[in-house]
Formats: sequence, structure tokens, C-alpha cells
Amino acid sequence: MTAYLIRRTIISIIVIFGVALITFLMLHVIAPSPGREVLGIRASTPSVNSWNKQHGYDRPVWAQFGTYIWDCLHGNLGYSYKLNQPVRTLIIENAPHSIWLSGSSVILSILIAVPLGIYQAVRRNTVSDQALTAAAFVTYSMPQNFLGFILIDLLAIKFNIFPAEAAQTEKVLPYILNWHANFLPIATLTLTSVAAYSRYMRSQGLDALAQDYIRLARAKGLNEPAVLRRHLLRNAFLPMITLIGVSIPVLLGGNLVVETLYNSHGLGLLFYNELLQYDFNTVIALTLLAGVATVVGNFVADIALTIADPRIRIS
Amino acid sequence: MTIAESPGAGPNWIFPVTPAANESVYTVSDFQGFSWLPVLYAPKGESPQISWNQSLAKSISFKNFNRTVIIHLRNNYKWSNGKPVTARDVEFYIWLLKAAVKISPSNFGNYTPGLFPDNLSSMGTPNNYTLVLKLKHTYNPNFLELSQLGVLEPLPTAAWSKTSLHGRDIPFNNIRNAEKIYNFLAGQSKKLATYGTNPLWKVVDGPYVISSFDPSTDGCSFVRNKRYTGFGRPHINKVVEVAFTSTQAEFNQLLQGKIDFGGVDFSDLKQVPNLKRHGYAVWGAPDFGFNYVVYNFKDGTNDFGHIIGQLYVRQALAHLQNEPAVIKSPAMFDGAASQAYGPVPTSPSSPFTPKSAAHDPYPFSIAKARTLLGKHGWRKVNGVLTCEKTSCGGGIPKGTKFETNIIYGSQPAIIGQQDEAWASNMAKLGIKITLQSETFNQIISTYSDVGTNAKNRNQWGMIDFGGFTGFVYPTMNEIFNTTGSFNFGGFSNPAVDRAIHASEYSLNNSAVQKELNLETQLQPGLFQPMPDGIAAWKKSLSGPAYSFAAESQYVLEPNLWYFKK
Repeated sequence: MTAYLIRRTIISIIVIFGVALITFLMLHVIAPSPGREVLGIRASTPSVNSWNKQHGYDRPVWAQFGTYIWDCLHGNLGYSYKLNQPVRTLIIENAPHSIWLSGSSVILSILIAVPLGIYQAVRRNTVSDQALTAAAFVTYSMPQNFLGFILIDLLAIKFNIFPAEAAQTEKVLPYILNWHANFLPIATLTLTSVAAYSRYMRSQGLDALAQDYIRLARAKGLNEPAVLRRHLLRNAFLPMITLIGVSIPVLLGGNLVVETLYNSHGLGLLFYNELLQYDFNTVIALTLLAGVATVVGNFVADIALTIADPRIRIS
Repeated sequence: MTIAESPGAGPNWIFPVTPAANESVYTVSDFQGFSWLPVLYAPKGESPQISWNQSLAKSISFKNFNRTVIIHLRNNYKWSNGKPVTARDVEFYIWLLKAAVKISPSNFGNYTPGLFPDNLSSMGTPNNYTLVLKLKHTYNPNFLELSQLGVLEPLPTAAWSKTSLHGRDIPFNNIRNAEKIYNFLAGQSKKLATYGTNPLWKVVDGPYVISSFDPSTDGCSFVRNKRYTGFGRPHINKVVEVAFTSTQAEFNQLLQGKIDFGGVDFSDLKQVPNLKRHGYAVWGAPDFGFNYVVYNFKDGTNDFGHIIGQLYVRQALAHLQNEPAVIKSPAMFDGAASQAYGPVPTSPSSPFTPKSAAHDPYPFSIAKARTLLGKHGWRKVNGVLTCEKTSCGGGIPKGTKFETNIIYGSQPAIIGQQDEAWASNMAKLGIKITLQSETFNQIISTYSDVGTNAKNRNQWGMIDFGGFTGFVYPTMNEIFNTTGSFNFGGFSNPAVDRAIHASEYSLNNSAVQKELNLETQLQPGLFQPMPDGIAAWKKSLSGPAYSFAAESQYVLEPNLWYFKK
């Protein structure tokens, strides 16, 4: 187990380094003179040259990359010249909103989708299963922004039950506690996720129901609720652990569509805006963050799976 | 009252010497402008002229062929700490400006090497309310007032001439001290989280003072400066600027009635009647700027540089643009734009508009374009317009095909839509155009500057990134003069160079009209319709009409507004 952890850690570091290198080189190729991007179209050439020199962008690209990695290792993710703030501050400011919106929707989705999927598997091909399947397909195939538009138009503008935007505060606790304002964005995220998760859970449930251990449990006279809880749910839920693991980057990456639609300033929107602005340091830092989150998410999912399922052994 | 910030364009620099990286109308006019006033206030509503009522200066006079400028300040303005606003405070600003550009030219967004403050030979304050500036050259008076001296604004010497928050004042009138003070103030301006509490930013001469700032969104709020003594004392006690992630999010809030004043994006034009039903007034006008397609006069591919170098070709291309149809089209501007035949659009009315730019010199006519090109030897051969004479002018050899590409900005979509409509008209004559979409930054960083960057020359025939905004004094210096920094396509014409020089350096007040007239006739680029900047405000909000019109020039004047009961 220890050897496995060390091996995975080394591979993870190499992957993250690779992500940083490729992102850095790509941005350098696209715009070799960040001064022009930062200062804008009407900045004079002396201003651009002076800015590039002042910030070390006149040096060879390998030297720039070396400095960047060295600074990252010391917790300095660079400075966003467009937003006039350190990138680390931007991440700290924006991450809680993204984590809350995406995290609460992931948890809600699982809480709703798991029993729903099991129910559909057990009642497969009945009217209720087909109705739920139809509903799942409708929400699953609906673009998130379209679903959001419908919810806003109906529940915010026409009936004025909920606000059309998420909570507008930089403070984390008031943001989290304002469930009324955050209801629509979380509902939009949850509805689309529930559709996907419940279909997945139904399929896993059907697979598990056909397994010998279910038949054996029933043959041994175990009552149906116990069969479902002890044998079906536990086995069908195992792949969901991987699904949750790969959701971790989404938690940190934020959700561009929902953040944009509901006026919630989060990491997804930050990445998108700064990508359009060629805000190098912010884009690289967020790409790195997403890389780290992906690696960590998969890592955690693998470990969690071995704990949850004694049949899996790591060597 | 609640004002919507333009999505993705929140302010992020409070110190009024604004670096190029942070320079934007939203930061300067709609944020700093609430608290610190300029010496010469422009525009006046939607008109590109000085609004003397709103200016700190009561008059300005010139001597010695405009090399000596005497600014007379009003004596009724006071800082919020009770001290009077004096000429020395303007002098302080100029010293900080000099220090900023000495440290780095990028520290001042409006900086052009050789112009202000480089062109200042000396300055003095004979009394508290008179500032005398001696310049190295003679300048056009309009250029001086609207462009050069328009940046001047007093800063509170007594509160800011220091190098630490609780330190003592130090003399600012030597460059070494000025640099130290600049570094301190610029450093404070980087602490966004402290904007609402930093005592420095509480000393203002404008109608409002900042009370909070949210660095995660750039949303902010202002309260009335109770000691404001100038023009337009505020009726509204608190102004909240709300940040938005998208135009859609902002529009939803308008529909819910939660915003008193906000912009309306083109994508929401169809919903304007709905907005009016929700109790809003909606109005728009173009800003002082222009949109154009840049021609590459150095493009060697298919000899396009030579082709576009011919005036008759540029005239023919102008005839192929159907501006009225583009403006009227519900899929494009839906009526919310003005025609533009040169660097100044037909609306809003401007004292600088030459007669030639008020009417279309090259109205839409495929027949006229065909005739113009045909007269010079262009014929359709195998579907492609081809030079069939020994020379079609300017060294274009027989057999040259009229084909090139347009690289256009991917956002906003209207750019590509206009170019597609234009290319479609060109195709009717056999002009073969390849359209390619790129991001704004990609266009500017990769394809610009064919003058000095040889490798860019043959990559493109035309680019369309949108255009420029904010030309209160509309000389095209740097854009259409031979050595201009933004002369992306390498246009060169000695008469235009002379006219641009006269717009800046001659004493003739009508010099800029002559320049614009020449540019309209010569078509150094394809001038396109100028979109309206549209705003919506609650019908209960009222004030002088010009204060609402100023919004079309990105200037907010909430101190002039009030709510009707």
C-alpha cells in the first residue's frame, strides 16, 4: 500500500508539472508579449516594452517558466494585472462560492439520485420507472442555461418566489446561509445532475440485481428491504464513489454556466473571463488547480473504493 | 440608488493616476470620477465639448502661440477634509504623473511619449487659483483642451503627499520625492479590500465618497460627500454599483426591478418593450469612436497590398457596404446604431463633424462598385474578379485575382455578421473573400503591426477587431498617420500625415475637420456603423437630460439625479 501511494504521488507530481509546462508554453506561443494584452490596444510601444521588461517577460521562456514554478512552490501563484490582485487572493475570494454551489448540488444529487435509481431498478419497466426515465431524459438533454432560463422566468420574474441571482456577498457564511437566493442556482445544477446520476444508478442497480449474491440472499430468506439495503445498495453504489471522486475538479473549477446565469462570482467564471483577457497568471494558476484537483480526486476515489470494497486490493 | 456595472468590467484601481493595465472608462469615469473631479470636464452630455459648469476651471487662456496655458480655477471647491482645492493640488497631480511615467510608461494609461507630461517645460502657481503651464510646442487649442489638459485633476496634497499612511507630508515638487509618493499611493491602490476604509480615499472633492468595495466582484458603494461644495450637489444619499457576471444576469435583475440604472445589451434589444412595461425608460446613442475594417496595405499575397492601395478599389468596397440595411436588420443592430462614413459617426452631433461625413460619400450600390472596378480593367473570369488590363493601377499586373481574407473578432457577434454581409456583396462582383474568426487579443497580438513586423505582412488582407472609443477630440493620430502606433495596416498618405499634424499642432480650430474630411474621402479603412450604448433607468428617476445622455459616453452623473415622488 505504501509503495503504491508513493508511486501514485510521484506520477501525480509529474502530471501536474506537465500540465503547468504545456499550459505555460501554449500561452507563450499564443501571445508572446503579455504587455500588449495587459495594457491594451492603445498602449504605446515604449509602454509595452517597459512593462514586459519590468515583469520579466523579456527573458527566455524557459527562464520565465522556471521562475513561475519556483514561485508556485513558495505559494506565490503570480499577480493578475488585469484584476489588480494576487492570483491566490482571487482564488480564495472566488472558491467558496463555487465549492458551495457545486458541492451542495453534488450532495443533493446523490441523495436524490441513489434512491431514485434503486427504485427504478427494482420497479423496472413499470409505469413509474418509465415516467421517471422520461423525466430524466428531458432534464438530462436540456442545456443547463435553458433550464436556468425557465426557472428564472417562472420562479423569479413571473411569480417572484426566488431572486434571479445567487446571494451577493463576499462573506462565506452569509452566502451559504442564504438558501433562498441560492435555491435556483443549486436547483439548476441538481436537476441536471440527478438525471445523469439516477440513470447511472439504475443501470448499476439492474446489474447488481442479476448477480448471484442477490439471489442467494433472497434464497436464504432475507427480507426484501434488507436485500436492497445490504446487498443491492452497497454494491450498486460502489461506482458512484469514482463518480464523486471525479466531481472534485468540478467543485473547484466551478460551473461557468450557472455562475454566469445567476450572477455568482466563482472560479469557473473567473477562468473564462481571464482566458478571454489573456490574463496569463490567473489562467495558468486555475489550470494548475484543476490539474491538481483531478489528480487528487482520482487518487482519493481509488483509495476510497478499496476501503469500501474489500474485494479490491492494491499492490 | 442601484447602478449596474458593465459585466466583466468592474473598476479595480482607485488612485486617479491610472496605469494602462487598469485604464477603462468604467474605472476612470464611473468610479474614480464620483470622488475626484477633472479641471476640464468633458463631455457635455453626449456632445464632445467641455462642460464649463461641471469643470473645476472657470476659464482657460493661451499666450505665446498657445505655448503658455493659464488655467483659472474656481474658488468654491473644497476637499472633504475642509481644505480648499487649489492650483497647487493640480501641480501635485502633474508631479505624480511625471513620476509615474518615469518609473514606467505603462503607469499612465493616457501616456503617449512626447505628449503630456513630456511636453511640459515648466509650471507655476502665481496664486491659489491660477495654474500656469509652459509647453515646449505650440498646440491646437481644441487638442490641448480636450486631449492634453483633459487629464488634469487636482489631488489632495495635504492628505496624500506622503510615503506612508500615518507619515508626515513631504515636499512633492522634486522627482525623487514624487516617485516615492507615487509608489506609496499606487501601492495603496493595489489593496482593493481596503478601498472602503482607507483614510486616503476618503479625502475627495467630488460629490461622492467610497464606503465599501468587494474585491471578489468589484461591486462597490458610495455615500454623499456632505462637504461637497461644487456644481450638482447630490440628492441621492447612497449609490451602489452592483457587479454582474453576464448581460443576461443583469437583464434579469432589471426585469425584477432591482436596478435603478443599467445598460442594455444588444442581445436583449428584443425585450426592450418588456422592460418598458416594467417601468423603465430606455435610451441610447453611439459613443465618440469609430468602428472600421483595417486594410493591409503591405499584404503581398495575391498582390492585395497594391490592390487596396488604389483609391478606386477602396471606394468600390465602401459602395459594397449596405450600412442602412445592417443597421435596420433585426438580426444585427435592429435600429440601434448610427451610420458612419468616416472616423466620426453621424450621431451624436459633434462640432468636429466635417460636411463630408454627414452624408454618405459612397452609398450602397453594387452597380457603382462594378462600374468603378470595371473602368479600371477588372472583369469576372471563372467566377473570380481578375485584372484584365496590362495594369489596373499601382503596379497591379494583368491576371491578378481579387482575393483576400478578413480576420474578424469573435466577440461581439455583430462584427462577424457585418463582415459576412459585406463579403456577400463582394462575392456578387466576384471578389473572393475568406472569412476567419479570431479572438480580439489574438488579432491584436498576432496580426497587427505590418509596418515594422515583416512576418505579419502576408498573413492577412483585412482585419476587423471592432474599433476605438473615447475620441472626445477626434484626430486620428497614431491610427492613420504613417508612423502611428496603431496604424495596423501600414496606411500611408503624406496629405493625411500633414492634416493629422495640423490637428495637433496648428492654431487653426477647424484643422481636425479638414483631417476628418480627408480621411472620409480616402477611406483608409472601411468605416462601419457605430452601435448605440443603450441604458435603461426607472421612470421614477429624473434629472437633467444631458446627465442621462452622458451615459452613452460611459460617464455617470448620479449627483444630478433624483427620484420623483
